[in-house]
Amino acid sequence: MIGEGLITGIGRGTMAAWRELGGITVLTGQVLRALVPPTMDRPELLRNLYRMGNRSLPIIALTAFFVGGIMVVQAGVLVRQLNAAGLVGWGAGYAIFREVGPMLIALMFSGRVGSNNTAELATMTVTEQLDGLRALAIDPIRYLVVPRVLAMTICLICLVILGDIIALYGGALFAMLVLDLEYATLHYSLVDNIGWLDFIHGVVKAGVFGAAIAMSSCYFGVSVRGGAVCVGKAVNAAVVAAAISIVLLDFFLTYLLP
Amino acid sequence: MNLHRKIEALGGAFIGALKSVRELARLWRGSLAGLVERDYPKGEIARQMYVVGNKSVLFISVTMGFLGMVMVMQSGQQLNRITGDLSQLGPEFLRLFIQEFAPTITALMLATRVGAGIAAEIGTMKVTEQIDALRLSGITPTSYLIAPRFFACVVMSLVLTIFAVVFSFSAGGLTAWSVFGLNPTLFFDASRVQVYDLTLGGCKALTYGMAIPVISGYCGLEARGGSEGVGTATTSAVIGSSFAVLLIDFLLSGIGFAFFGGGAR
Amino acid sequence: MSEPGRTAIDVHDVQLRLGHRQVLQGLHLKVAEGGRLGILGPAAGGKSVLLKLLVGLLQPDAGRVEIRGTDLSSGDEKVLMRVRRDIGMLFQNYALFDFMTVGENVAFPLARRGDVEADEIRDRVEARLRSVGLAGSAHKMPSELSGGMKKRVGIARATIARPALVLYDEPTAGLDPVTTQKMYDLLSADQEETGCTVLAVSSDVKALMGFASELALIHEGRIRYAGSSSEIADSSDALVRQFVSGSEDGPL
Repeated sequence: MIGEGLITGIGRGTMAAWRELGGITVLTGQVLRALVPPTMDRPELLRNLYRMGNRSLPIIALTAFFVGGIMVVQAGVLVRQLNAAGLVGWGAGYAIFREVGPMLIALMFSGRVGSNNTAELATMTVTEQLDGLRALAIDPIRYLVVPRVLAMTICLICLVILGDIIALYGGALFAMLVLDLEYATLHYSLVDNIGWLDFIHGVVKAGVFGAAIAMSSCYFGVSVRGGAVCVGKAVNAAVVAAAISIVLLDFFLTYLLP
Repeated sequence: MNLHRKIEALGGAFIGALKSVRELARLWRGSLAGLVERDYPKGEIARQMYVVGNKSVLFISVTMGFLGMVMVMQSGQQLNRITGDLSQLGPEFLRLFIQEFAPTITALMLATRVGAGIAAEIGTMKVTEQIDALRLSGITPTSYLIAPRFFACVVMSLVLTIFAVVFSFSAGGLTAWSVFGLNPTLFFDASRVQVYDLTLGGCKALTYGMAIPVISGYCGLEARGGSEGVGTATTSAVIGSSFAVLLIDFLLSGIGFAFFGGGAR
Repeated sequence: MSEPGRTAIDVHDVQLRLGHRQVLQGLHLKVAEGGRLGILGPAAGGKSVLLKLLVGLLQPDAGRVEIRGTDLSSGDEKVLMRVRRDIGMLFQNYALFDFMTVGENVAFPLARRGDVEADEIRDRVEARLRSVGLAGSAHKMPSELSGGMKKRVGIARATIARPALVLYDEPTAGLDPVTTQKMYDLLSADQEETGCTVLAVSSDVKALMGFASELALIHEGRIRYAGSSSEIADSSDALVRQFVSGSEDGPL
């Protein structure tokens, strides 16, 4: 009985996952088509950029600061164990640029901006505002979705760049305070071993994560059916889908990117 | 004038934050007291544990599996570049996952999945006056609603962290074997794991497990206005508990390092 | 349970501010035990807020709220719990627990007391559901019911423990006139049986006039009229007259 329920559950879950994936792909296609040639609402894009950046900047800055600290503490063990102070800058920088920085900042961004965006679009959908736009001969995809997708992608790229810097300096601060390392040691350890490639690796990831967060967040927002109760469910589904896509894409990008 | 208003807003935000911290502490004490009083429906703890596990086990498997593979790939490439000696990859991976990645990433996933659920559920009860109706029947919402979720989250956070370690370690080992041709017996080696790592990882998992339901429950209880209020509560629960997880991670790692030398021998 | 003649509710000069709005400003209200008071008033005038004050879910900024001789303004949870044991309340949106069946919802106030046998609870729930016209719905979930049915479940839950004071927040909003009358008949029969004090909030003037012996009209946080329901139409206050007659011209 339980086994049967489990199997049915897995089957149903898989079907639902494929359906959502299909929906997201279709929406992505529509967004891409709308971008060639780029026809969209410029003021709406700027408004979204400002709003999303404004909303997420404090939390992202704090996150990055602590992430830097955590990385240094982890690297600190190596220092004690191997007496390898020269490796701290390299280890922390490598991890922050390539993996931890983009991923954790993207997860926080999804929780702050993505979920909010889904709630907003879903509320508009259930209150028939999207149909209202269509009735005015305005394409809701071009008017609402495209600017948001662009804004979220640009926003996350900027936030990850900024977050990288904050994390590095936050990490350096902790390394100097806790590990008694010289700033110069950290600096040269980083500069000698980390190249532009590592930085760009993270920035490309940020762009892809931003687009993925935006697509899942918008998709669950506009595809919501039913009453107001469904808004909460849509938000939850969007955040979970975003988290899964971040981890999956991280894997493939690590594999593909140099 | 503008600056004046900004300072005012900042001060207001600060006082608001202090108030929230006090409320969170009250909620935490209330949950513990509620567990002692056992003033919740029968079988509620088991039900909540099932909900937490059922909601997140697949989610955590996917994320931790891929995370394990990525970590092995990244560090393997670096080791190959610098020393070419991959023998320490598995043991260090396990140590790092036990005390850092498994508890923290699991908790971030729990914050997303379970925290949002708790806030939505309790927020809905708040805006539909069910919380008021409970209080009218002589019930403290904290002991009745938050306490069982609190207990379930604490236990499941630990259980899921163990699961996450096993899952990501296996995924990492498979990657090391298929990508770098590393012998699995070299990778699956737990000799580097010390009591320190197990304690730190365990403490982290337990603390995250306490923070997530308390913060999410608080967001739910503070929900105001119709369904929009529930939406706001849900999003602030996700971001609030995620941030708390990172903050706790930083604090506990820092304490571990400062007082116990980060487990270095 | 109740002693006629004693004061069941004594609200003295209550002030309450919620956010930036002064909801109640100097509100006085007295209800004798066994009385039936109807509270009228335009929307957002402070009616629901008054009910929450009476059960201690809100605390006044100034003034005093006494329920059957107990002062609630201390905000002490133990005092509140004791007072609430003798109060039943129908919430505006019913506030049925959506994780319980209808039967469990109705049984809840009784089960919480801990001094009633399970068999007796079951019998009383069955009887109560029958009297509100929902016999055999005990196993359903609240989400399966219509708005009117939920309201009746809410009434059953509010009255199952035979409280000395019952508060109804909009017992008939959204119901058709026939059902409204049936609802008030049900409330009347209940009150006659138990002799409890009843306070009903509604914006439906006519139906409330038929049910309540006394009426109070709240406008902008103050009582504009308090007296017998038969005389409200002849009030000297133009605002009260306008509200009762429902005409378009007047101070409102």
